[in-house]
Amino acid sequence: MALLDKRAKMAGRFLPAVLMARRNLTRTKMRSLLASLGIVIGVVAIASLGMFGVALQYSFSQNLSNVGSDITVVPNSEENVTDLTERDVQTIRREVSADATVTAVKNRMEPVSYGRGEPGQKRIWGIQNPKRLYEADEGQITPFRNGALVGSNVAEEHNLHPGSKIIINGSTVRVQAVLNEEGYSPTNPNNRIIIPIESFGQREYSGVIVSESTGTQANETAMKIRDSLNQRKKRVSVEEMSSVVEQYEEQFQIINIVLTGIASISLFVAGISILNVMLMSTVERREEIGVLRAVGYQKRDVLKVMLMEAMLLGLFGGIAGVILSIGSGLAINHYTVGNAIAVFRLPNAWYVGAAFAFGVLMSMVSGLYPAWKAASKEPVDALRS
Amino acid sequence: MTVIDTQELVKRYRTGGQTLDALAGIDFAIEPGEFVSIMGPSGSGKTTLLNILGLLATPTEGKVVLDGTDVTGLNDRKRTTLRKQTIGFVFQHFYLLPTLTAVENVKVPRLLNDDPGLTNRARKLLERLGLGDRLDHRPDELSGGQKQRVAIARSLINSPKLVLADEPSGALDSDTGRQILDEFKRIADQDNVAIVAVTHDELVNEYVDRTVHLVDGTIGQEGKNGR
Repeated sequence: MALLDKRAKMAGRFLPAVLMARRNLTRTKMRSLLASLGIVIGVVAIASLGMFGVALQYSFSQNLSNVGSDITVVPNSEENVTDLTERDVQTIRREVSADATVTAVKNRMEPVSYGRGEPGQKRIWGIQNPKRLYEADEGQITPFRNGALVGSNVAEEHNLHPGSKIIINGSTVRVQAVLNEEGYSPTNPNNRIIIPIESFGQREYSGVIVSESTGTQANETAMKIRDSLNQRKKRVSVEEMSSVVEQYEEQFQIINIVLTGIASISLFVAGISILNVMLMSTVERREEIGVLRAVGYQKRDVLKVMLMEAMLLGLFGGIAGVILSIGSGLAINHYTVGNAIAVFRLPNAWYVGAAFAFGVLMSMVSGLYPAWKAASKEPVDALRS
Repeated sequence: MTVIDTQELVKRYRTGGQTLDALAGIDFAIEPGEFVSIMGPSGSGKTTLLNILGLLATPTEGKVVLDGTDVTGLNDRKRTTLRKQTIGFVFQHFYLLPTLTAVENVKVPRLLNDDPGLTNRARKLLERLGLGDRLDHRPDELSGGQKQRVAIARSLINSPKLVLADEPSGALDSDTGRQILDEFKRIADQDNVAIVAVTHDELVNEYVDRTVHLVDGTIGQEGKNGR
């Protein structure tokens, strides 16, 4: 009860200051509007750039979602190792966990032409058991004995369909299937031409890709593979995709911080414009403030009213900024992620909230000096006409 | 009991290398219900005295006793609180807030207080001063005399013991000035409020109980109006 009473009293003391502040601001509507426009722009800039970064990161990690638990093992060219042997692949198979998939791949550069054009150099891949990794968009993957599988980008670029002919190193090969488009991964087929691994003359492999079920398991497996293959010399380099993903995410975070940092400059500018507006109004309202002090307003009462004015400017600008930001966020997410509703994700709320809070805080900090100046003016000086 | 009592007031200003005695030993006291004018040429120290009486300024030497309390050495915060409780101000140029209606202007001194009966009191004061039909008008919709009445109502909202008026009729024509001075006289008589008016206007002397003449920071001859 007592607490409620106290609260009501506080509201009673606070509300009149808010009302007074509001009236003072509406006295010079255009000026107040322009001052909060600065805050609007600042809030929209910070929130939009923040949300843009989040959208980019999101679309990136959507593509990377399965990669975090992948490991690639390639021969270490620094030690003059150029291939992985069948024994290496067997060793790797022994070290992985029970539910991991191990894909050994071979590749080499070959002159490839599509129809009438001049042949260009293209890397041709041989992958064990492609049915396990890929799905066909058109055509059939199995049986896979002498055709070719092409990725979606290759098919689109050269207008390839099942039955189309391509010429690899002088021999004609029929396209057997166009593969589904996939997200980023070491086995991503989008830009690849895959032929049966048996048609590669060489016995050695050019790399092995291990897909574990979790990132931690991948990490463990990577260590085991290093232990068993790199005992005497560093024959292979084992790359965990999770660390690549992490690196990318760190990069994105840095980019985001820089972007929002640049955007927050606009809020500082907005703060200065509020400082300017408030200073002008303390000069204009010199006598009025003197009267308030004469009729018994304490310094802190004057301070309170003036700070409230700055806060209202910030709140108004902030709220308008948030509304506009959500609008721009819808557009950003529509164009980058392809899903406007994605704007209502938590990191975006964080950016919008932070931009709003920063805008209001900036206004209040800017109002501090003019408010203090107004409050500490001697009423006698203020009233001297 | 005197409302305010000053003893040996001195106010010294230092400008450049010179010192200027704006007030040079003022003894002044006023009783409840008394209407006193302070007259004197420009630079005689009238406004300085009014500011010290209103606790807006502090004397260099001497003592100020307000309603039985020595207020000479109080800090700004305590002076402000006392000023709010005991003193009302009326200014030559009214100084009403242009965005507020008459009633709201009257409420201004107590706006930050939790005071449920405030609006009613403000309306009653304005009605009493003949502005019952102007309650919700803004200052720019009021005549000079009406503005000064609003200012007087504002000075009375805290039920002060002392009202200080700086040239209250200075910005008004003589007819309106007379009406305002009538109001002051009525307030002094009916509410037992002490009123001090600083003025150039000889007209004021027809209404006051006594006149204090200030010359070069000292009190000259004092004229009494028989009443």
